[in-house]
Amino acid sequence: MSSRRRVKRPETEETTAVLPIGCRVSAVVTVLNEEETLPLVLRELGKLPLEETIVVLNGCTDSSLSIARSFPQATVVHYTEKLGHDVGRSIGAKLTKSDIVLFVDGDIPIGADRLKRFIAAIAQGTDVALNDISPFLPLFRDWDEVTKMKAFLNLSLGRPDLRANSMTCVPHAMSRRAIERIGSGLLAVPPKAQAAAIEAGLHVRTAASVNVLQSNRLRQSNVGKDNEVSRLIIGDHIEALKYAMNAGGNRLTNEDSGRRRHVVMRRQL
Amino acid sequence: MNRFKISGNRSRSGRVRRSSQSSDAGGARGRIVRRKGQSGRKLGRPASSGYRTRLTGDAERVDSIPLVSVIIPVMNERRTIRRVIREAFAVHPSTEVIVVANGTRDGSSVIAKRAGARVIEYAEPLGHDVGRAVGAEAARGDVLLFIDGDMVIPALRLRPFVNAVLREGVDVALNDYSGPTAKPVVHSVVLAKHTLNAILQRPDLNGTSMTAVPHALSRTALTMVGVESLAVPPLAHAKAIQLGLRVKAVQRVNVGKLNPPRTERERIRPLEQVIVGDHLEALDWVISRGDDRCGFVDRTRKRHYAR
Repeated sequence: MSSRRRVKRPETEETTAVLPIGCRVSAVVTVLNEEETLPLVLRELGKLPLEETIVVLNGCTDSSLSIARSFPQATVVHYTEKLGHDVGRSIGAKLTKSDIVLFVDGDIPIGADRLKRFIAAIAQGTDVALNDISPFLPLFRDWDEVTKMKAFLNLSLGRPDLRANSMTCVPHAMSRRAIERIGSGLLAVPPKAQAAAIEAGLHVRTAASVNVLQSNRLRQSNVGKDNEVSRLIIGDHIEALKYAMNAGGNRLTNEDSGRRRHVVMRRQL
Repeated sequence: MNRFKISGNRSRSGRVRRSSQSSDAGGARGRIVRRKGQSGRKLGRPASSGYRTRLTGDAERVDSIPLVSVIIPVMNERRTIRRVIREAFAVHPSTEVIVVANGTRDGSSVIAKRAGARVIEYAEPLGHDVGRAVGAEAARGDVLLFIDGDMVIPALRLRPFVNAVLREGVDVALNDYSGPTAKPVVHSVVLAKHTLNAILQRPDLNGTSMTAVPHALSRTALTMVGVESLAVPPLAHAKAIQLGLRVKAVQRVNVGKLNPPRTERERIRPLEQVIVGDHLEALDWVISRGDDRCGFVDRTRKRHYAR
């Protein structure tokens, strides 16, 4: 990070974050047929002092491409085929060399003031700044399986304080250091990237609360309890846990040293 | 290296394998007789000793092989153990009670012996849930009921677990207790249990788990999951589900309420860590049987673009 200037941490939610001077900031926007929301998303991003806005379009059959092109500050990457979940983020992260990278989706417009907080958190030394969705979650008994997986991953990684907050969820921001350490390829499976970030000792914390639970666009694949998207995200978390266990052992840091298992084995001989 | 000793009654022949067919028939006959109030021959033992003989027809005492084995790990549970054992014996007319006393210094094991239990004794604590596996290894019944020594649960409330295995063909009869979940942040153990069931594609089981007592196992379940995995209950739980056993939440016993305020032993945070670790170990086993995503595929994701 080129600037070490300390930015005062906002006292309340409503305080406007102060953005650092000298840090190069970019945004990565992934888009799949988002003509309705994309102009709003790009307009908010336009209010931020971004070095570049990388719009990764994939499988778009609507006017998303021409909308993206009409924003002069946007760098447009266009794939005619669908890349699948989160692959666009990985491609965007690979393309930018900025100090701070903000990740958003083309279907959820978020105010620039809110987005600033994620950038500011990274400028202050955070490596991964997550969206704190805790205020918007129902009681645990009404959680879906995906939310449980998110919280369990954090718990297993020794970060129960992160609750159900996840890199699966936008917006979030990353430092260059984090992207380099984790590798942009891993960003295609966000929980795996999160596990890698925590395991690598990177500074992961929440930066602000944006309610994306309501605004997520309903598609055929993400409706219903056991939908395709939910199964994909559950699988991502299992993969992330396995990834962590490959390095940290099959109990991670949760030892059971007081357990004398050999007693059972010996009795069976 | 026998640092443990076994007291109380033990079958001379050790574990006796019975064909399930004949034992079912015999057992059923025996039960019917007893239910009519003509209790079986007691062979001179007081009822409270629990060593009631299973009668098959007019045969003499075939063996003191019980139908139900109740396994109670005990560590300094003097205040409750007598009552716990009494309720255990009342679960079924043909019941053995196995107390696995470990690290007990308060005389619990003496009380247990007097109450008619078979006591397996270890001078040092075995650690979490190892006592269950040790007890299960010594058990001879067709049904194994697991309870704790510090929690008095009336026999009436224990019977449904045993009956689910005996009569309904359930292999793992779980306590239908998912912990307190009407709050925004739950205990890590509650979270881990719910998550494992979701991964095992049994979200209907909510937060029920073999980690919680009471629960009952069939002899088949014990053989299939392996005695040693009972020392890591979520592992046994995962194995039971993955191996296609019938796992069912049978009845709710609010063990959260029954659990007495914990003494220093359990107030230590590592208990949470042990249980979270157990769930990870279980997940690792599930993954080892299939793929790294436990069947939750991401077919649509074109990973080769992400580098």
